[in-house]
Amino acid sequence: MLKQKLAALGHPSPNDVALSNRKEFASTILWLEDQKIRLYTIEDRDKLRNLQDMKLWEEAYLKYCSDLSMPALDTQLEQLTWIIGHAIRLEYLDDPEQYGSVQAEDIGGPKRNGTATVPQKVQTIFDGKINVDDKEFIAAVRQLATKLQVPHHPNHLLQLEAISRIVHERLSVTAKDRKPITGTPFPFDKGNDVVAGTDPKLDYPMRILRLLQIQNLRQLQTQINETIVAVQSLTANPKTDTKLGKVGR
Amino acid sequence: MVVRSYNDELKYLEKINDHCWRIKKGFQPNMNVEGCFYVNSRLEQLMLEELKNSCRPGAVGGFLPGVKQIANVAALPGIVGRSIGLPDIHSGYGFAIGNMAAFDMDDPLSVVSPGGVGFDINCGVRLLRTNLFEKDVQPVKEQLAQSLFDHIPVGVGSKGIIPMNARDLEEALEMGMDWSLREGYVWAEDKEHCEEYGRMLNADPAKVSMRAKKRGLPQLGTLGAGNHYAEIQVVDEIYDKWSASKMGIEEKGQVVVMIHSGSRGFGHQVATDALVEMEKAMKRDKIETNDRQLACARINSVEGQNYLKAMAAAANFAWVNRSSMTFLTRQAFAKMFNTTPDDLDMHVIYDVSHNIAKVENHIVEGKERKLLVHRKGSTRAFPPHHPLIPVDYQLTGQPVLVGGTMGTCSYVLTGTEQGMHETFGSTCHGAGRALSRAKSRRNLDYKEVLDKLDQLGIAIRVASPKLVMEEAPEAYKDVTDVVDTCHAAGISKKCIKMRPIAVIKG
Repeated sequence: MLKQKLAALGHPSPNDVALSNRKEFASTILWLEDQKIRLYTIEDRDKLRNLQDMKLWEEAYLKYCSDLSMPALDTQLEQLTWIIGHAIRLEYLDDPEQYGSVQAEDIGGPKRNGTATVPQKVQTIFDGKINVDDKEFIAAVRQLATKLQVPHHPNHLLQLEAISRIVHERLSVTAKDRKPITGTPFPFDKGNDVVAGTDPKLDYPMRILRLLQIQNLRQLQTQINETIVAVQSLTANPKTDTKLGKVGR
Repeated sequence: MVVRSYNDELKYLEKINDHCWRIKKGFQPNMNVEGCFYVNSRLEQLMLEELKNSCRPGAVGGFLPGVKQIANVAALPGIVGRSIGLPDIHSGYGFAIGNMAAFDMDDPLSVVSPGGVGFDINCGVRLLRTNLFEKDVQPVKEQLAQSLFDHIPVGVGSKGIIPMNARDLEEALEMGMDWSLREGYVWAEDKEHCEEYGRMLNADPAKVSMRAKKRGLPQLGTLGAGNHYAEIQVVDEIYDKWSASKMGIEEKGQVVVMIHSGSRGFGHQVATDALVEMEKAMKRDKIETNDRQLACARINSVEGQNYLKAMAAAANFAWVNRSSMTFLTRQAFAKMFNTTPDDLDMHVIYDVSHNIAKVENHIVEGKERKLLVHRKGSTRAFPPHHPLIPVDYQLTGQPVLVGGTMGTCSYVLTGTEQGMHETFGSTCHGAGRALSRAKSRRNLDYKEVLDKLDQLGIAIRVASPKLVMEEAPEAYKDVTDVVDTCHAAGISKKCIKMRPIAVIKG
């Protein structure tokens, strides 16, 4: 995905960008600033050009990040993704009309409409009462996310959904009253299940997704059980009559 | 019927690997698919000896040998994949017990056969756990066995202690375990841990004869006779610690209760009625089979549908029956230990059916197909993440409860991915007979059998001691051989082994 974005921006060698190399990373950042973002004047960019002395470069990069008002992101990958995204946004804003005619279906990508980016949960809660695209609103979501250490996502509404989940699972009154789970923990990667036999890289994320799915199912099943118990309090009347019993020959 | 010498017969059998044999087409006439059976070296001997005996000149009467029965099933219209014999296979009516076969629902010629389900429809095993340990139960096991015996009527012609009228029965037939829930006999979690959630939705009591209902009404909540039993067992060995802990089994010595029962006279009558009806349908639709006992009807014919709806009602009957006995067991334990079933943590670990036909989706030759899966003396064993198994077992695979025979051990296995591919997610169901009932009556003495159990320290209560030798361990294959074969062949995985300390029996 990163490579495609770099290619779209016209990077000369998008396939050779190796994230494992900090120097490579630095030169990619420099290229983005030089060619696309142009936040600084040419003279001010000199410090970012210090690829020979990485110590100086790191200082300059730290300042650059805050000047870009990039949110606090932990990994190199997240940072680069954000900066590339920023560059693409700027590129687009330079001449929005040029891209106006491009439709997702024309280029074979997944179909999208305006509302798809707003998660349904958020949509039903706010239902037009709050302008979810308001700058202040966005800033508040970002701030909350930083505080709760929710990873950055370009769509602040998706991030809001993640925040709501954390609040619900960990911070709400019911969550605090919940008894700690006892018993032997089931090791994450030791089940009898074959997940992605062919690709070990897929194994880990798939296990996580499946666990989340199982958690959802468990919640549903618990609700079903609670409903049955509630109905039972009205209907149940177990009877036995030992006089009826007869042991066979 | 082809008559061949034993050596000629062997030419049609091929050992694929240490645990599986192939039955080639031509072994019996008109085979649509191949057959196969799973055995280890000891079970293999039993299997081939049975075939050898039937090849002797003048051998008539009795059931056909198991291998022949597998091959005859392979000749039924609409069968897909293979006709599969599991390690505990032994001859039965039409289908061998321990034979599973799947039929394509989209093929208009496919059939459903009552012989492929068996007479005791939805016979099955339920396992309850407790938080008691052997040391808590040993001192009182005689009293506990007596208490269970008093609560759960056993034996031929026994009657239950849960009052039921005709209307209750109609509702129970339609609702299955939901009826038990509504009346408050079981817990919501019991339903969750039961195959099909304890209710076949296509059940139609109107398709069941009056006679079947009359036979069934007084029998709800009774164990029955034959190989049925309720056992108090202790965990003897844990092979798969994680899966066991998911089932609430933490340590050796933990006490569990196993209930093995079915649909009593009700299911038997449903099967008998259907066989009569189907014989006519076979003539009309010109369905030919290798064996008269393989009476069947097209799935979409009136007779086929009637049977499936009545069978579902019988399955529901069996679940209500096992649920009633769950209730009675909990009562007996609660009284004995002067506490509540809740405090004894008497949850249902799982409830399996081993005589049933169900509509399931399976991947056949790379394509998903809707099949009618007959399992007779065979347990469903679905792998981890299968949507039809309870959420609690999504990571471990479906628990498979394998009851031994009186006095021998029992096992809990889990379903595997390989089983899903090879056997349509099926595995063994128990020990499987080695001697016929008549033969065991002739060869064994019931006093000896009872003495032996006594020596093993097993408390026993039986309604009809003279029938005990039919169920003696000597009359059965070794359940450990059966389970080890399934484990080694990879069609299910060993998880827990239990041994009995008290038995009640018909």
